[in-house]
Amino acid sequence: MKTLALIFLLSGFFFITVAALGVIRFPDFYTRLHAAGKGDTLGIALFVIGLAIHNGFNLVSFKLLLIVLFIFLANPIGGHVLSRAAFKSGLKPWTRKGE
Amino acid sequence: MGTKNALTKKAQFKQFVILPAALFIFWIVLSGKTDFKNLVIGLIAACLIPWLCRSVLCLQATTTPGKSYAAFDLPYGKIFVYLLWLFWELVKANIEVALIVLNPKMPINPQVRTFKKTLDHPVAQTVLAKSIILTPGTITIDVEDHVYTIHALTEGAALALAPEEGEGEMPARVGRLFNEEAEVK
Repeated sequence: MKTLALIFLLSGFFFITVAALGVIRFPDFYTRLHAAGKGDTLGIALFVIGLAIHNGFNLVSFKLLLIVLFIFLANPIGGHVLSRAAFKSGLKPWTRKGE
Repeated sequence: MGTKNALTKKAQFKQFVILPAALFIFWIVLSGKTDFKNLVIGLIAACLIPWLCRSVLCLQATTTPGKSYAAFDLPYGKIFVYLLWLFWELVKANIEVALIVLNPKMPINPQVRTFKKTLDHPVAQTVLAKSIILTPGTITIDVEDHVYTIHALTEGAALALAPEEGEGEMPARVGRLFNEEAEVK
């Protein structure tokens, strides 16, 4: 059980790290949103599931799983709102050709 | 509100029985107490909130005029199966993005594409737009008049979602998720 929790925690760490690295490395706003929107969602989800497994089966674990559910609902909205606002205000996406 | 009558009896029943029940269970889980005072306060709140929000919970259909849907009258069984599939897609999407980020050459070719998918249920539109953000290399920029503007990290991701002909797997899945339900009513 502890090993399973550890696997979830470490993979969560890995995805959050990759997301942070992606935000630094990608060339423009939209591509950075790709890293932030997806990496964070899965990273946090895996991390919190790992904590729930570590804690065992009780009410606190159930609350942790509810946090995962709400992050799943909220994170895509954040990504969409940011990209929509940028697009409406006329920010041009970076392309290979314009390099 | 004139649109309120457009809800079927079954939809209204579901709305005003399932939602308070769900809220009440949520209250118990969060408070963690089962003494009489807490339960009564929770029950009152759980019944009052759907009633106060009744105008928000009645959603206008996007194409059929005058028709409206109850916001929580959803095919939950099918949605659960869809969520499992979506979670697996999310894992794949992340591994894909992780490989791109860790690749020193950074093999990306970002592009903006549009595709059209008509969904009558407003919740279906939201589900599709959110699913696009969570899956392989694509984010939804805008949804207007059933036209989805998406930004894709790679050409493959763009084509998977909006092929030159036909429709991608995800819009088709979301369509199946909700259209059958619409016919039953």
